[in-house]
Amino acid sequence: MEQNTEKDGGHGGAGPMAMLSGVLGKGGFDQLRIVTLLFLAIFILYSVVLPGFFSVGNLLTLMRTVSVLGILGLGMAIVVIGRGIDLSMIATLAVPSALVLTLAAKGFGVVPAVGIGLMLAISIGVLNGILVAYAEIPSLFTTLAVGIGVAGIGQIGLFDYEIVSWPPALDGIAWIGRGSFYGVPYSVLAFGVAAIVIGIFLRRTRYGMFVYASGDNPGATRLTGIPLRPVLVMQYVISSCVAFFAGMVLAASSASMDTRIFNLTWIYDVILVVVLGGIGLSGGRGGVANVIIGTLLIGTIMNGLTIMNVSFEMQNLVRGLVLLVAVLADSIINPRNEETAQQGDI
Amino acid sequence: MNTLVKLRYRFWPDKIFGELLQKPWMETAVPLLVLLLVIAFFSARIDNFISITNLNDTLRQACELGFVVLGMSIVLIVGGIDLSVGSIYALCNLLALYCVNVLGLGMISAVAITLVAGAALGAVNGILVGYLRMRAFLTTMVTLIVYKAAHDMLNAEVGVAISSNFPDAPAWDYLGFGTFLSLPVVLWVFAVVAVAGHVFLTRLRAGWHVMAIGGNRRSAYNTGLPVKRVVALSYVASGVFTATAAIFFASRLASPGADTGKGLEIVVLTAAILGGIRLGGGKGSVMKAVLGTLIILLLTNGMLRMAMSAGMSRVILATILLLAALLDIRWFKNRHKAVQELYVSPGYMELPPPQSTAPESGSPFALNDKLRHVDTIGLGEIESPEDVALDADDNLYCGNRHGDIVRFFAPDYTRQEVYAHIGGQPLGIVMTKQGTLFVCVGGMGLYKVNPDRSVEKVTDETNRSLLSIIDDSRLRLADDLDIAPDGRIFFSEATVRYEMHEWPTDSLEARGNGRIICYDPRNGKTHTCLRNLIFPNGIVMASDGQSILFAESWACRISRYWFDGPKAGTVEPVIENLPGYPDNLNRASDGNYWLAIMGVRNPIFDLAMRKPGFRRRMSKKLPGDEWLAPNLNTGCIAKISESGEVLDVMWDLGGENHPMITSMREHKGQLFIGGIHNNRIGRLKLDDADPEFVDLKEAGNA
Amino acid sequence: MKKLLKLGMTAMLGALIGTAQLAHAQKSMDDPLRDDYYANFEGRKVVFVPVFMGLDLTEGWSKIMASQAEELGYDYEVRNSNFNTAAGAQTLTSLISEKPDVIVVQNPDVQSYAKLLRQAEKAGIRVIQLNMKTNYQTTGFVGADVELIGEKQAEAAVAKCSNEANPGKVLVLAGPPTSPFSAYMLKGYENVLNASPGMNLVSVQSTGDYESSKAKSITQVVLQQHPDLCAILGVWDNTDVGTAAALQESGKADQVLVTTSGGGGELACKGLHEGMWQYYVSYDVPGQGRDLNALIMAALQDKNPVGSTKTVLYTPLVTYTPETLGDERCWSLDTLR
Repeated sequence: MEQNTEKDGGHGGAGPMAMLSGVLGKGGFDQLRIVTLLFLAIFILYSVVLPGFFSVGNLLTLMRTVSVLGILGLGMAIVVIGRGIDLSMIATLAVPSALVLTLAAKGFGVVPAVGIGLMLAISIGVLNGILVAYAEIPSLFTTLAVGIGVAGIGQIGLFDYEIVSWPPALDGIAWIGRGSFYGVPYSVLAFGVAAIVIGIFLRRTRYGMFVYASGDNPGATRLTGIPLRPVLVMQYVISSCVAFFAGMVLAASSASMDTRIFNLTWIYDVILVVVLGGIGLSGGRGGVANVIIGTLLIGTIMNGLTIMNVSFEMQNLVRGLVLLVAVLADSIINPRNEETAQQGDI
Repeated sequence: MNTLVKLRYRFWPDKIFGELLQKPWMETAVPLLVLLLVIAFFSARIDNFISITNLNDTLRQACELGFVVLGMSIVLIVGGIDLSVGSIYALCNLLALYCVNVLGLGMISAVAITLVAGAALGAVNGILVGYLRMRAFLTTMVTLIVYKAAHDMLNAEVGVAISSNFPDAPAWDYLGFGTFLSLPVVLWVFAVVAVAGHVFLTRLRAGWHVMAIGGNRRSAYNTGLPVKRVVALSYVASGVFTATAAIFFASRLASPGADTGKGLEIVVLTAAILGGIRLGGGKGSVMKAVLGTLIILLLTNGMLRMAMSAGMSRVILATILLLAALLDIRWFKNRHKAVQELYVSPGYMELPPPQSTAPESGSPFALNDKLRHVDTIGLGEIESPEDVALDADDNLYCGNRHGDIVRFFAPDYTRQEVYAHIGGQPLGIVMTKQGTLFVCVGGMGLYKVNPDRSVEKVTDETNRSLLSIIDDSRLRLADDLDIAPDGRIFFSEATVRYEMHEWPTDSLEARGNGRIICYDPRNGKTHTCLRNLIFPNGIVMASDGQSILFAESWACRISRYWFDGPKAGTVEPVIENLPGYPDNLNRASDGNYWLAIMGVRNPIFDLAMRKPGFRRRMSKKLPGDEWLAPNLNTGCIAKISESGEVLDVMWDLGGENHPMITSMREHKGQLFIGGIHNNRIGRLKLDDADPEFVDLKEAGNA
Repeated sequence: MKKLLKLGMTAMLGALIGTAQLAHAQKSMDDPLRDDYYANFEGRKVVFVPVFMGLDLTEGWSKIMASQAEELGYDYEVRNSNFNTAAGAQTLTSLISEKPDVIVVQNPDVQSYAKLLRQAEKAGIRVIQLNMKTNYQTTGFVGADVELIGEKQAEAAVAKCSNEANPGKVLVLAGPPTSPFSAYMLKGYENVLNASPGMNLVSVQSTGDYESSKAKSITQVVLQQHPDLCAILGVWDNTDVGTAAALQESGKADQVLVTTSGGGGELACKGLHEGMWQYYVSYDVPGQGRDLNALIMAALQDKNPVGSTKTVLYTPLVTYTPETLGDERCWSLDTLR
């Protein structure tokens, strides 16, 4: 494992600023640092050029726009660190939370409704995990297929419409995505809490270390007696639960759950956030800090472009080019070596 | 009962299953099965699912998708991934329509421009991933976003102009709707491309580079392959294939739709993986790409036509994807195990009772101690001299297991040198009067070493038998040879089903897996003259020059085969009840023949030969090192006559000087002895032999 | 004419006789059109190709079409493209060889299906386009005049904002940039806003594929820049749930006027009740369904060659405001016939 990310993870929950100083305090340029610098450059540029960008209100808005993306990124990060990928996260975000809304609207009560939704999310995770760990189907394919299946099950009859509105019965827990706490929106707090919890899990618990081990070298992990397969299943269960949590935040925040988001290319944004921050798809590297930086970069770019009233396509184009620059800078500064490159690392 | 067993093992095609399983194309069995199931299911449910019109529609769509899958497959085989195909598809579609509908270009120029654009878009990926070594997944995902945004912006500009023009371009419409010999044009183009792609991947050097880099990038790099260029070009290929698909799509639908190509990368990836192409590289073929494409297209098409609810069809699609992947992965993982279990197919063999070897039995094979005092040559300096030969100057030649021909210098044979390096284990060798050495090389074929020490291949293939499932045209285990007076070389190939080191497994089968092959130097042709021999081993020319004597090791017999003369083509037994496994045969100075017996039969193994079911269970249930094997410990040298009389037998009860015997050669009153498990060559003074006799052949024109 | 006269005479005579013979029961009669009319629908087939089921709009239309099919005895089938234009094109391609009598199609954009719809009509299938049209006119079109919707929404915004002292800042939340539906609507907005000097269009942003979460985040960002925003012109009720959520969170729900449009389902009334929007233009799904059924019936009875008649039915628009609100005005799947 890399030493730098090792330490950063500890700061992961301690807020972005503390983390930034931690990142920049060391020499060398890895992807995390490049993306951090890029983020700072864009941030400073916007602050100078764009009136109204550097205000507490706007920065909180910025965070709020990307908080759900960030939460999803945290869940994805666990799976990616374990050398997998979870493409079913959007389906897991949409379907169980839509189910909760539907059940609550039918008078199930808050706790049973959320309980059933959580059970559904966990079973999706278990299914993914079993197929990846025991049936040894590549995670890319497994989660792709499971995502399609879950979206299909949702369409078959869990709810009447594809867009489920937030029922008054759930207003008791609407705060997780709506409103603010001393000025900080709850959805940003939700991202923060998720980051702290996952940061602690990854760096401070035995099972977190197992995740790193299983991603870094599955064979060796197995030989040392770590229950590799159960650990893999656990990763997918966690990512499913995180997706469910993100779904509830999203539903509360926009007062409805639009299950059509499964059809969109959201999942690419989630992967981008994770991989851009420097969590390699080959596993075993990175941590919460990487996700936060990736999220902030994307959020800042989009926020500024929206302020500038740039069109939707142009936003996508600019975002794509900036991301390309980030990835390119990494590969020029840290060229990959034919000798040390991992086989099958795409 | 015994007859039943005999019949069952003679006629039931046990070995076919194993041989079929072992074919490389069996890797595609699962996708093929899935495809057939899909077709069967929908044909039963939908009227006219397979009708001519519908088939043409489906094929048009299938070929369009198929082009993209082909491109993706090449990238996957190289070990990358190309997520940007959907956006490249959309951009090329837009470009092609802009050329035709707005600019009014002809079909040829529109197609050319679009293909170049596709190549350029792919080249961006190629440069980024291939030369700058960026990560494929991330990079192509970003180019997916960038290209898509570019497409949306351009589409807003030119979309309306495109859709309000309906140009009169018959050549262009022909691409989209035309048929040739009642099949869609796109199908013909796709068929040509697919066949070319297959040839490229399996037969051409560049295609092998692609497979090699995908299989092990580091090794490919270290062997000097242009890794970066090949990777970059694979993305260019993907771009071109995608552009081709977009051209046909554009000519068929003329639709500059906003979400053209949206999600295409997922469909294409699904098709490729369903077809059995692995993520991570090195595994894949055109056939797999085609099968995967057909499965995914027929599946979605069928479900749409059944008017299945969207949710239901998603669930079914997901289930089928997972089941197919599960099956394919199990198949991929376990096929070689299944091959191992099923490939060995013991047959029934009943050996006649052996001649006795008891000292006082009066049998010619009665044990004695004549070989005990053999001299040793090169003790500890040579490994595995299977056969020995001497030249006119009395120098001694033999092979070793490092793939060399070693020469011991006359007269004392204490000095040695590597005479020539061949690379494979030399087995039977023959020296000609001209000084050319002919060598049967295990795993390589028939070779010769010229007097100037240059090594030359004589032949390594023969005619493929029509009904054989495994490819038996290559020589796997050429064993011993002799040269006819007219220069034709007759040599034995012990087995066509196993490699050299697997000879114990072949013995377990006791089937006629071997053959005798003739190489004719006059026209350079090689053909098989006798098949279905049970481990044919030693070969020696008989005195008439029209026939050979040959030994079949596991059948413990010597037979005679006439290749010329009035009895041409017939085989007659010479000795059928040897007490051991015969190996090489050579001429003796008195007109008789020397026969090496490499091991002695034992009743247990003989019994096992009559119990094929037992051997079958053994080969399935036990690891290979616990299988029964013929005993190759103590052997003897026998002198036999052409009619099968055993004239003399020399045993060695101690086995100290020369533990095992696979060959012997008489030279000027001395007998030189080889043994494949030995680290020495034996030499024995023969008392009553012709001191001038040398065993040298006429080389013919070879 | 003569015949009519004769018929009238007979009828009068009959009436006289009838009244005269009061004891005699009234006589039954066959409607001569009736048999032919019903025979027309025997074994005919109508296929609906929506962009996506599971929305109040598509489910509503489909339910109305299905109930008429059941009554009249023709086959009705839904082939859901499930938000996938390629799948839709695939469906249309195989429908062209299957030859149903009528295809009802909801286009994802102006161009995607144009060529296929032409082919279908050439192959003798009558095509009715629903709510989203291509630039190729087929046998029928049923849908809203989207430009008019835009004008109405914009007028409501002008009415509110020009009255007040604030600068009349307006945010437009549009649909996908390539969708004609959204483009026509923008045209309507421009028609009105450009003619109203006091109005200031501060931002035009796309909500992607009608994503409410995107609508929310855009609204939040724009509110940061323009705290004195006056009105938001939204593209669709389902999307603007997010817009409303952003306003509610920022506490500006009372300050900013939200106008939106949609099919007039439950959500429309719910939104007005809860103050999510203050002005709603409905294109009245039950009415559209009735128009659609009428066109289907006409198409099934039409003996002329395909393409010889072309009918466009723009749906009469209904506007809802909190003042005009009554729950009975919004439909739900259960209240549809």
